[in-house]
Amino acid sequence: MTVVDPAVGAGPRRSRGFRLPDNGYRAALAVAAAAVAALAAWFLVSIVIQAKPAFSTLGFSWIFQKVWDPGHGRYGLLPFILGTLEVTAIAVVLAVPIGLGAALALAYLVPRHTRSALSTTVELLAAIPSVVYGLWGLVVLAPVFRNYVEPFLSSALGWTGLFNGPNQGVGLLLAGTILFVMILPTMVAISRDVLAVVPNEQVEGAMALGATRWQVLRKVVVPGARTGLLGAFTLATGRALGETVAVALVIGNSPYIAHSIKSPAATIPSLIVNNFGESTGTELSVLFGAGLVLLVIGIAVNSVARWLVWSTAGSNVGAAAR
Amino acid sequence: MTVATSLPADPIMERRHAVQAAAAASLGRRKLGSRVAIGICWAFLGIAIVPLVAVVVYVVAKGLPAWNPDFFTHSTVPEGISGGGVWNAIVGTMVITAISIAVTVPLGLVVGLFLAESDGRMAAALRFTADVMTGVPSITVGIFGYIAIVRNYGYSGFAGAFAIGFIMLPVIVRAGETAFRGVPRSLNEAALALGARRATIARRVVVPTALPGVITGVLLAVARGLGETAPLLLTIGGNQYLQWNPSKQMASLPTLIYNYSSQPYADLVQVAWGAALLLMTVVLVLSIGSRVLAARLGKERR
Amino acid sequence: MWDLGPEYPLDPVIRAAFSLSSPSVQMPWVCSQVGGVALPAERTASVPTMTEGDAHMTNRNTDNGRRSRRAAPLAAIGLAAAALLTACSSSSSTPTTTTAPPGGTLSADNAAFLAADLKAPAGSLNASGSTFVQPFFTSAFYAYTGKNQGLQVNYQGVGSGAGITAFQTGTVAFAASDVPMGASDLAKMPANAGPVVQIPDILGGVTISYNLPGVSARLKLDGPTLAGIFDGTITMWNAAQIAALNPGVTLPAHAITPEVRADSSGTTYIFTDYLKSANPTTWTLGTSKTIAWPSAAVQTPKNSGVAASIKATPYSIGYVELSYAIQNKFSYAAIKNAAGNFVVPSLNTVAADANQKTSVSATDFSIVNAPGATSYPISGYSWAILLQKQTSDTTGAQVVKVLDWTTHTGGGQDLAAGLDYVALPPAVQNQNRTQLLTVTGTTGQALLTK
Repeated sequence: MTVVDPAVGAGPRRSRGFRLPDNGYRAALAVAAAAVAALAAWFLVSIVIQAKPAFSTLGFSWIFQKVWDPGHGRYGLLPFILGTLEVTAIAVVLAVPIGLGAALALAYLVPRHTRSALSTTVELLAAIPSVVYGLWGLVVLAPVFRNYVEPFLSSALGWTGLFNGPNQGVGLLLAGTILFVMILPTMVAISRDVLAVVPNEQVEGAMALGATRWQVLRKVVVPGARTGLLGAFTLATGRALGETVAVALVIGNSPYIAHSIKSPAATIPSLIVNNFGESTGTELSVLFGAGLVLLVIGIAVNSVARWLVWSTAGSNVGAAAR
Repeated sequence: MTVATSLPADPIMERRHAVQAAAAASLGRRKLGSRVAIGICWAFLGIAIVPLVAVVVYVVAKGLPAWNPDFFTHSTVPEGISGGGVWNAIVGTMVITAISIAVTVPLGLVVGLFLAESDGRMAAALRFTADVMTGVPSITVGIFGYIAIVRNYGYSGFAGAFAIGFIMLPVIVRAGETAFRGVPRSLNEAALALGARRATIARRVVVPTALPGVITGVLLAVARGLGETAPLLLTIGGNQYLQWNPSKQMASLPTLIYNYSSQPYADLVQVAWGAALLLMTVVLVLSIGSRVLAARLGKERR
Repeated sequence: MWDLGPEYPLDPVIRAAFSLSSPSVQMPWVCSQVGGVALPAERTASVPTMTEGDAHMTNRNTDNGRRSRRAAPLAAIGLAAAALLTACSSSSSTPTTTTAPPGGTLSADNAAFLAADLKAPAGSLNASGSTFVQPFFTSAFYAYTGKNQGLQVNYQGVGSGAGITAFQTGTVAFAASDVPMGASDLAKMPANAGPVVQIPDILGGVTISYNLPGVSARLKLDGPTLAGIFDGTITMWNAAQIAALNPGVTLPAHAITPEVRADSSGTTYIFTDYLKSANPTTWTLGTSKTIAWPSAAVQTPKNSGVAASIKATPYSIGYVELSYAIQNKFSYAAIKNAAGNFVVPSLNTVAADANQKTSVSATDFSIVNAPGATSYPISGYSWAILLQKQTSDTTGAQVVKVLDWTTHTGGGQDLAAGLDYVALPPAVQNQNRTQLLTVTGTTGQALLTK
């Protein structure tokens, strides 16, 4: 929202203690913003410097090769890139509808007196350390997946060709599910807040026109909160892309391209955390290069999300949205 | 009055009946669709709660046996020695998180305010940067902290706070911006009409109105910061003994959980679960406490 | 005789000597083994292996009171064991010669050195490295501080590689690594750092643990079979090679799930070192901390991750460090050693393997597949690394004294068995002391004193 600059000749100024003049205020904000930008730049430069040896000795083709065998000097990042995208996709495909639905329920459907308690309950999921998720996934959920979920899905959806292979429990499906649980509180909490602040007038207006509850939600509330929902989606996806420890425990760490949703796979963060402590020389800078590739993937995902939102924005519904 | 014969067909009435029938049918369809969709939303809420209950029950079952007075007051002891606890890890986590919050929350909220008020290309670039920063894997953040601080100054609590702060910052920026944007423009304009300066508007209008959203965002960031393991693994160095000085190596609850849960000895694993339960409880308390705070300070919109 | 530790149950050899609880049929079997006659493989299949002795170890977990530190050496038992072995060996050779106990004898001035070790200057040290030794080091240093009251050692298990890096950059006083620093690691030391002293600090074994529903007998496996399982050529449990080693056991017709380490690990190194040694031509995946395992293998980080994965996955088999296998009561296989016997991993059998080759050094450190009837072939040392030319007299004195105390019987090594680690053979302990005596301070004086 653009704010009109108050005219210079505005009335008498009361000075109660130090009052930040507008220019000072803007300057302070700009300094803070610059500090954050500088931090991000410092981060990028550090990673690039550490990754440079990998690119200067190996070129760029290693990013798209399939074989990871550092013992024989072969570095191929493709299985890890695909693994990262696949596991994030599973998590996000589950989290967006379920998170949005839960957030709608929390913001509009749940009785007021229980709203706070239920919101806190969902947010509590964010409190659990990632290593706990990993262990719970490995010890509790993996057998359930191996014995019940995967056979069921294979028989029901096997025709898609996505469910081939043995039922091992650990793999993309389990890691995606654990990630889904981990990003759910972010998705729900932020979505709930954003959905709740859609202006009342619009909601009431829609109801006055005879819209059913769902129509109000779908046509007025959700579009009105579009930008905020994008923010929630971005934060949730960011967490999913970068999650390290929990994924490393349940994904099977197989440095091969997955041939089905049930297969073990590996992600770039799990690759880094498993190998960083012991690697040196070329392998170490390859790991930094992998981190750089992940950054690029994050940028790409964010850009696609923004484009999706802008291209379907339509009319500028809701004053709170941009 | 003529009797019994039906009235001649009235095209207008018929049209009206047709429209009313269509509307009634539509309403029926829409109501049904609405019920189904609303039901799905409730179901999704239930789905969101189920894994939570499962994990919480699991952590409580495994962690509660570890809780005893010694657990909270004594530092860690090796395998086989009784009377140990996680006090050194609690202190480490408190100090590191406090430093992170003290630096990141003001900085992040100010930047969030900046982004909420500006629409220029710089702001868009910064917003994009913050979004990308949330996607950086925690291990890469840890490596950055290692390169930037540890290589020059050694392992320390400050290095850990730096790494955790890096993780928390974009969350606070984005969540803060989202909250600040939720403040209706009308409030802003009314304050401007009264001749207020922007700093005043920010302090008196925007922040209080956005406070519930801000608190949610800060809380999410802190919860994430409390639970992050990989950055701390590479920056704080760990310490079996009590250490309050953040310029030295410190212990922390997430790294303790990570290390102890991978031990072969059952009592150390027990300590790990006890620590996990403690972390969860801390965040629960923070969450409830901040809601109470938000209810008192801010205005609940809904 | 090496110190077995207070709670450690008596070696079957000794138990047989005292007729405590094992069938007496073991006695003649043991004697003929010690006499140098190796039993052929078929014979061992019908003779009880060392399993019965191991059962005692699993009872340990139920009684936490016994796990407190008690440093009383079992001198009487040791003497009796020495006497038994002497008697057995003399039964097939000249009656008047006495054989030195395997593993060597501790030097006579050990106690004097240990007493001096406890008088290190006060202060605190930072050390890091191998996660494998972390429980042992933590306990040993805690006990040391309990006696010394002035010196605290903060050891963090960040991984052997990270420990070496910290050592190279001077962040830690000493490091610990499962594989000693090699030429390339040493080349990265700063130019003025000087030579590096590397000493073994503890012994460990790698078990082949498995989860095989419906099979209660202990599996027997050998080098070629293991190589086949882990490089993907043997894929079914009822394969001919496995069945041939386990007659009378009904193996299920199910696929094998190999469980391996996802992260770089010294345990992987020892295991692949053994595979290479047992299969010089057919094991092609190499000897390294990181291996390109076939795609059928499930990779999980850390020993505990592999252990949890094995527990949760039926029909799986993987390599897990001994303390994990014992503490979690896994089923682990008896492995055929170089002498042709199927040996169950235990504190004793790992020690027997180490005793075969006590002159280890940083450049010659592999002890896998050692000869000897009771040797467990998949064993290895972990190493402590320090600078020979210390730059601070105080820190240097602290480091050498702590390490000397930790690596000797009467000091830290007494705690090993209680944690399911294997103590160093006395000959290795003596060598350690010799090495530590070469560590000098700022004026070139030796820092380790009596």
